[in-house]
Amino acid sequence: MELLKRILYILLYPGLIYCVIGGLILAGIDRKLLARMQKRIGPPILQPFYDFFKLLGKETIVPRNAAKKAFLAAPVIGLISLITVSLFIPVFKFSPFSTYADLIVVIYLLTIPAVALIVGGSASGSPYAGVGISREMVAIISYELPMVVSLLAIAKKVGLALNNGVMTFSLSQIVEYQAQNGPLFTKLSIIPAFIAMLLVIPCKVGSLPFDIAEAEIEICEGPLVEYSGAPLAIFKLNHAIKMLVMTSLFVTLFLSGAGTGILAIDAVIQFILMLVVMFFSITLLKAITARLRVEQTLKFYWTYPTALAILSLILVYFGL
Amino acid sequence: MFEKLIQKGLEKSAWLYHLNTGSCNGCDIELVSVITPRYDAERFGFKIAGSPRHADIIVVSGPITSQSRDRLIRTLAQVPDPKVVVSLGSCPRSCNVFNGSYCVEGPLDKYTPIDVAIAGCPPKPEAIMAGLVRAVEILKEKRRAMK
Repeated sequence: MELLKRILYILLYPGLIYCVIGGLILAGIDRKLLARMQKRIGPPILQPFYDFFKLLGKETIVPRNAAKKAFLAAPVIGLISLITVSLFIPVFKFSPFSTYADLIVVIYLLTIPAVALIVGGSASGSPYAGVGISREMVAIISYELPMVVSLLAIAKKVGLALNNGVMTFSLSQIVEYQAQNGPLFTKLSIIPAFIAMLLVIPCKVGSLPFDIAEAEIEICEGPLVEYSGAPLAIFKLNHAIKMLVMTSLFVTLFLSGAGTGILAIDAVIQFILMLVVMFFSITLLKAITARLRVEQTLKFYWTYPTALAILSLILVYFGL
Repeated sequence: MFEKLIQKGLEKSAWLYHLNTGSCNGCDIELVSVITPRYDAERFGFKIAGSPRHADIIVVSGPITSQSRDRLIRTLAQVPDPKVVVSLGSCPRSCNVFNGSYCVEGPLDKYTPIDVAIAGCPPKPEAIMAGLVRAVEILKEKRRAMK
């Protein structure tokens, strides 16, 4: 019975099916909103599904000087790790795979899709992909620092209240704290970390002001340049699921609480909050900005978001 | 089951790759105007792709110059099946005013069969849209023939 429940979790709700359908719908709403902001009619909300199935029906070409196994395995590895992250993120009080230190597992697993992109790009043997993977590495270095520091601030804040002053890395404890004391973004000391994390999301999912690795106009989508057919479809799917996972993590960290106790209603509330977060951090930013250069991205992330995150950590230590 | 979805996907999401083989830029600007807010080809799922490996429809503009002939052949070979070749404007069909020049090696049908030809110098955005919608139909037929 327990095993059956676990399999259901992995395949159905926070796992495979939810990730694929939810991620693609999220990406479709993003494209529609962006089009409406540019005074266009825009593609239908189901457009990412059409793209996905069309790419499945195309021929898959493996370039002659590509490393075939790594080239074909990279997108699948990214997909698997993203679905695993989704299993660890609690939806209000519902957390199927709660462990003692999920936050660390989540940080590590969230790096794997970016690494998969690097592996796939370098296996394809194209100079455009070479430029793309070096930029992807810069992107990882830039967003990782503010993200980890703001997560530390949250861990300390929750640990002071629930874990005898020791940092806690358990996401279910973070949710429990928010159920007792209200959402974390209302706490004065966490507000800077909230803003920093909001700025980390667009770089993590590779959306416009920070999409240096997949710059479509400059380097023809960078690491994806040699991909076609089914592997490209899975990379596009990864991109959509990354959006889902990052906004879901954000909602759980800052906007969570006790919820209603009924899973279906909680899931719907979580999805609506994710849409709001996606609108402000991804769609709005995409519509009003142009792409930054590589060194501008690094400079931006290591100044303002990092400073905000460290400020938050200091405020937490002062007990605000 | 998947075949139906793939057909629907091909109908709703065809990605373009624009290949300029020595065009005067007139047709290129008209093609770009198709994706602007006024005409918005994205509502039919058309998107300009950066790489020929992502493309379904290859839009060729310009008479084939000797510099670009080799690149044209190599680029067309890189596009995964099913693919459709669309000639944009008069140049790829007849070389237009460049006919007879020492550096022009057109027309396009010497190198590849053309599926849709959009006439005009340059063609209107409405004509380009109509041509692209026709190209999508041919794309679906080619997929059916692949099976």
